Order: sequence, then structure tokens, then C-alpha cells
Amino acid sequence: MFDGEPAYLIEMQAISKAFGPACVLRDVTLRLRPGSVHALMGENGAGKSTLMKILAGVHRSDAGQILKDGQPLHLPSPRAALTAGISTVFQELSLLPNLTIAENMFLGREPLTRRGGPDRRRMRAETAAALAELDLKLDPDQLVSTLTIAERQFVEIAHGIKADASVLILDEPTAALNAADVEVLNRSIRRLRDAGRAIVYISHRMDEIFAICDEVTVLKDGQYVGTRAISDVTQHELISMMVGRELSDLFPARAAGRGKPVLELSGFRVTARAKPFDLTLHQGEILGLAGLEGQGQSRIMRALIGRHKPAGGALRLLGKGLGFPGAAGGIRQMARLGLGFVPEDRKEEGLMLGLSVAANLVIGLHAEKPAFTPARSLKQVVQRMTDALRIRTASPTTPVAALSGGNQQKVLLGRYLARDVRVLVIEEPTRGVDIGAKSEIYALLRSFVQEGGAVLVTSRETVELIGLCDRLAVVHGDTVVAELPAAEATEHSILTAALTTEGAAA
Amino acid sequence: MIAWLRSGFSTRRSRQGLWGVPLVIAVAMVLAQSLGTGQFATRENLFNLVAQAMPLLIAAIGQLFVILVGGLDLSVGSVISFSTAILSLDGPSVVLVPAVFVLAALVGGINGLVITRMGVHPIIATLAMQYILLGITRILRPTSGGKVPDIVIAAVQGSVLGIPLPVIWGLAVIGLAAKVLYGSRFGLHLFGIGGGVAAGMEDAARNHGIRVQRNVILAYVACSLFAALAGVFLAGRIVSGDPNVGLLFELDSITAAAIGGTQLSGGVGSLHGTVLGAIVLALLANGMNLANVSPFVQTAIKGGLLLAIVGLQSRKKMGL
Repeated sequence: MFDGEPAYLIEMQAISKAFGPACVLRDVTLRLRPGSVHALMGENGAGKSTLMKILAGVHRSDAGQILKDGQPLHLPSPRAALTAGISTVFQELSLLPNLTIAENMFLGREPLTRRGGPDRRRMRAETAAALAELDLKLDPDQLVSTLTIAERQFVEIAHGIKADASVLILDEPTAALNAADVEVLNRSIRRLRDAGRAIVYISHRMDEIFAICDEVTVLKDGQYVGTRAISDVTQHELISMMVGRELSDLFPARAAGRGKPVLELSGFRVTARAKPFDLTLHQGEILGLAGLEGQGQSRIMRALIGRHKPAGGALRLLGKGLGFPGAAGGIRQMARLGLGFVPEDRKEEGLMLGLSVAANLVIGLHAEKPAFTPARSLKQVVQRMTDALRIRTASPTTPVAALSGGNQQKVLLGRYLARDVRVLVIEEPTRGVDIGAKSEIYALLRSFVQEGGAVLVTSRETVELIGLCDRLAVVHGDTVVAELPAAEATEHSILTAALTTEGAAA
Repeated sequence: MIAWLRSGFSTRRSRQGLWGVPLVIAVAMVLAQSLGTGQFATRENLFNLVAQAMPLLIAAIGQLFVILVGGLDLSVGSVISFSTAILSLDGPSVVLVPAVFVLAALVGGINGLVITRMGVHPIIATLAMQYILLGITRILRPTSGGKVPDIVIAAVQGSVLGIPLPVIWGLAVIGLAAKVLYGSRFGLHLFGIGGGVAAGMEDAARNHGIRVQRNVILAYVACSLFAALAGVFLAGRIVSGDPNVGLLFELDSITAAAIGGTQLSGGVGSLHGTVLGAIVLALLANGMNLANVSPFVQTAIKGGLLLAIVGLQSRKKMGL
């Protein structure tokens, strides 16, 4: 019956899109079959979300066309996409906090009573049924602002599924979900697939891709790399398709030796109950605080930069004794001495998202001057940092919010490098950053210590700490319980060190 | 019922705002004034109170519509004056009365278009409209004068079965607004749009398929229509056109909405709260008039009350 040509539900052909001078998609193709789950993969900034926003009617493509069942489809607005049967669960939560779950579920297409008002009874009943399908025990009349992030994520998914759509786009639906929740979600996805829907699944988690998807399309730097059947491809092949190189190249070589101490903690106690410990960071090395999550790595960091007061101990920074860390002048004094602190949550605590790349880069330089000194634009500094860090931005005046996660993180690092800091204290150097940018950030940190700097770092990803650092200090119970050379460390040896040391559980 | 009452006092789980505060204040004012003076509880004073409160109540309901979408309308006062000026022109009432509403809808439409299409901030857009309309009003009617059609006067000053018409009009307006805000998709969408604005998710409502621009424009049209109705009401009371009668109504209507628990960031507020806010302002004026407090002192006290009530309300957003 079929003439060999596979029947596609949706075909996106030769799609191109630019935002100003920055071209984010070039000649991208995506073909979706009915009754299949299609993974869309690529690093952050590869153009996945933009491509999906075009299919969802949020953005309009500059070139190319979309076919549905072979017929050209015009998608000028999200409403048009919904009408065409394309439903999206966006990566950014788009539930309105001041509406109830039921209201959010039906927003924009509320069923009406005979008197012309929204049929709240029906909305409530259908919402309850949709929530039950996902094993959610939530009251449809609950305001979304009272839900946890994971609950919101599920409501968002229920919202997308419930629409009578033939195409369902799931943009990182599992970002806020734990393993059990993911399994619940996968069950629903399989049910929808068996009902003949086409599902686009965006995720960075390989195991999920292999568990649930049938086909995968890879994008890189806004260009189409290829489409494979999941059964014909391995994880390593997928990664090299995304990155263009092998995983082992991710980390730069370690340091040959190390210099004199730059940061010395002695008798340091984070809390009154914690055991005191000593820790020394040397010039030319990257030192990682490893251990189980939440064992005090972050508390040690924050106490040492003066965010909160430790119970006791002394600190020497670049040979200068500061007594109680941070007690004298706090982060301002430490910054003057040449220490930079890069917080974990760059959006909340680090960057000024609405300001330009340039302003975010040089604000550290301005902070050292009196408040009424005219702020020079420091064009050369901005240019030097943008080039050196390879920050991909349309122009130095682009707001930082418009950059991808990796580039935002580079801007944040650039702020300290521009100021000639000697010691960097970094929480989660690559949180929310894709593989390509991770490797660039590792190289940056390595060259920073090679030029005489020193880095103290925490990360939830133990693999990252092992690959990046020269030395690991294992933290347990708010104190350092062991030190290991990173070259010999494994996830297993770190865990063993954390759990077998006496007095750790203070 | 109890849960609903409690929602008036808790910022956490409601999008209705803290309307319990003005409720308590209104009850306290009524009690204080009935005990303090024998004149308060008289039938005459109460009906007079309703008639006095009605224009502000209507204008404040209109203001609520635009505040809910995160906007503001400063042209309300000018629309009111303008409406009285139109009604006092020479002409048959069948032309003048519809003309008031058509012109008001036009004004609201322009406000909405300038804000949504040209991206002008609501304060600037409606401030400009306030000046423009004030100028036109003063050309039409430089000083107070003219004669308002008899039918308007009868509709405002008459009574049915011993109940003054203002009471009936008031209930009808509140009923209409309730239907639009709570019993229509439009009303729900206004809350949704404002909730997105307040939470910094401007695109969220659009992503849900709501026609944001159209709904925002309609909110400004509704606001101007309510203002025009307030103008018709005032014209019926003063029997003539007056270029200054709407003065400060734009600010008083915002005050009433804010006292009623409506948050200017959008998405949080209620009709009953706004009605209570207008009633509090009317009771305040009434009480101080009975107590012979000078109008200047009254204005200062009004400011203090606004600050105290809004200050009492936690400014925390919807628990985001």
C-alpha cells in the first residue's frame, strides 16, 4: 500500500532563524512520525528550544516551511499552533501563579456554560481526571503558586498532554523530577505514543533518551547534524555527534607542580559542633571540596568568603592574616586582596541579567573605585575578555539574559579574570552548562592557575571534580575528613573516605 | 464560606487580595459613626451616602479592570468631566447619552492601542490622554454650565418603591462587573494576563493562546466605559456640565482599588474588595463632614489611611 515513502506527521524543512545578527538556526530539518517519540538533542544553545518555539508558534522562522500531513502549515501565533494540534510543554514554566490548576489547564480554551461563562465544573472534573492519569493527588482548585516546582512541572505536562493534540513537544520535562516521577511520566508518554501521537522529547539525560525515544535528531550550533533510530546508535556516538569530539578530551591536563600557599585555613570550624580542620590552597592548583551532597562544602565556602560567621579559626589570604574569616572587611576586603567568589546561582546572585555583557564584565573593576568616579566603558577590557573567553554574543551591549547558560557562566568568570584576581572560589562552575562550554570553562580555569592563580571549587558532579582538580578535600559533617590527589581518586574512594573517617558525623 | 472569608485576610492562597482589611475598617467606621452621632443612621444620610459614593465606586470598578492586567488609567477623571460636558451640550438625549459611551469606548480603545501596540507605559499613555481630554472638555465647556437631559436627571435622582435609583444602579453595575470579571472568559483572562505580568512571565498568557493585546485593550475600554457611567451619574446629580467635576477621580479610584486589596503589580484583586475600598472612602468623607473636619484635613487623612492600609497588607507577591 505504501510506496516506500515513510508517512510523516510533521516535516520542518530547511528552517532558518536569526535574532538580530546572531543566526541560531540554519537549514534545519526535523521529521516526526505519528506514533513515535523523537528525541531532539544538542548542547545548550544548539537551537533546540528555538526550533521547538517555531513549531509552537512562539517564534516565526525566517526561511523554510512546515508541513503537516504533507500540507503547508502557517503558524503565526501559539494559538495557531494549538489549533493545528501542536501542544507544548515549555522548558520555562508558563503556568500562571494566581490561577488555579484547573484554570491553568484550560486557559485560552475554556469550555463554556450555556450562559456563556467558563464551565468551572467541567474544568474541575476534567482536570481531576488528567491529574489522576499522572498519579497526582492535587486539588484542581489549588492555586499554582502553592505548588512545589516538581508539582508545577507535572501540571505543566498534564496541561500539554490533555490538549487534544496530535503533536506534543516536551522541552526538558524532567528537569525538576526525580526518578520515580520520570517513570510515571514515561508511562504517559508511551500511552500517547501508542495512541498515534508524535512526541518531541528534549532532554540532556541519556538514560531517558534511550528508555523512551524511538528516533533522535541532533543539532549542533544551530545546524542539523543527523537523524538516527535510537536502536542504531550508542551513547558515545550521540555525544560525539553533539560535541563533535570524544568525552575524554573534556578535561585539560593537570598541573605539574604547585607554588606557595595563597589561602590557608587553620583550626577552622564552620559551626560550634563541627570538628576544626586545616586546609591550604596553593598557587597553581585547583582544589576541590568533594563529598556527599549537603555535607558542608557550600557552608565552608560561604564561611570562608565571609557570608556567614564561622565558629572559630583563622584565615591567611596571600600571606595576610585575616583572623576570623570575613570578620574584618567581608567580601569587599577579600576582593581588594585579590579573591573572587563565583556563586552557584548565577542568575540570582551573580549576574545582572538585564544589563549588557560589557557592564557585567567590568562591574568588578568599577566596584574598586569610589562611587562617584565616572564609569569608563573600558572597551578594550571587554573586547579582551570576550575574545579570551570566547563568549558568543551578538554584541557587547546584548543583555546577559539573552545568552546561553555556558556563555553566561563565562561572563561571570570574566568579571573576576578582568580584575586580575589571584584566588577564585567557585561554586558549581558548570551548572546548567552544556558539554562544549563545560570543556571551555575547564580549560579557562586551568590556564588561570597556570598563570599563577589558584582555584577552590565545589561541584555536585563528582566526575567533574575528579577530572578538573589537582587535589580533593573530602568534606563530611562540616569538616574536611581526608585529602586525596585527584588523579588517583574515584567516586568510590571519595565515598569511602567520607564515610569511614572517625568523628565525621559530629 | 469560612475559607472564603479567611482568604480576605491571608496573602498566601488567594488572588483576591486582602479585602478583609477594608471590610473591618468599613464596619468599624459604621459602628463609630452610628454611635458617635445620631445623624448617621438616618435614612436620609444613608441614601445620601450611597449617592455620594456611587460615582467613585463605578470609576474604581473600571480602574480595577486595568489594574488587574498590570496597568493603570489616569484618564478616568478627564473622561468623567468630558462626559458631563457632552451631556450638557444642546441636543436630543437619544444622541447625547449614546455619544458619551461611544466616545468613552473610543478613548479607552486609544489608550489600549497606544499601550499595547506602541509599547508606551500605561502611566504615560493615560496621562497624555488625561491632558488631551481635559483640553477638549474645556473647549466644549470652559466653565460649569449647560443643562443635562431630563432623563439623566430622573434616572439619578428618582426612586422606585421608596428605594432611590442610585442604590439600584449601584447594584446593577456591581452585578454587571461581577458577571464580566468572574463569569466570563474575558475576566479570567484578565487575571491570567496580570498574574503573568506580576510574576515576570510576560509571555506566559500568550503561550496559553490568550489574545493578550486584545484583552488589554478591552480592559481599557471597559475602564473608560465605567468612567463615562460615573460621569453620567455625576451629571445627573449636578444637573449641568462641569470641566472640573472629575478632578482627582483617577487618583481616588486607584486609592479605592488599593485599599480594597488590589495589587498594582497585577493579577491580584477583587470586585468586592474594590467596592469596600470605595465605601471606606465614602464613609470617611461622610464621617468627617458630619464632624465638621475641614476638606484640607480630610485629604491629608485620606492619604494617611491609604498608606496605613496598603502598608498593613504584605506586599509579598503570590508566594512565588
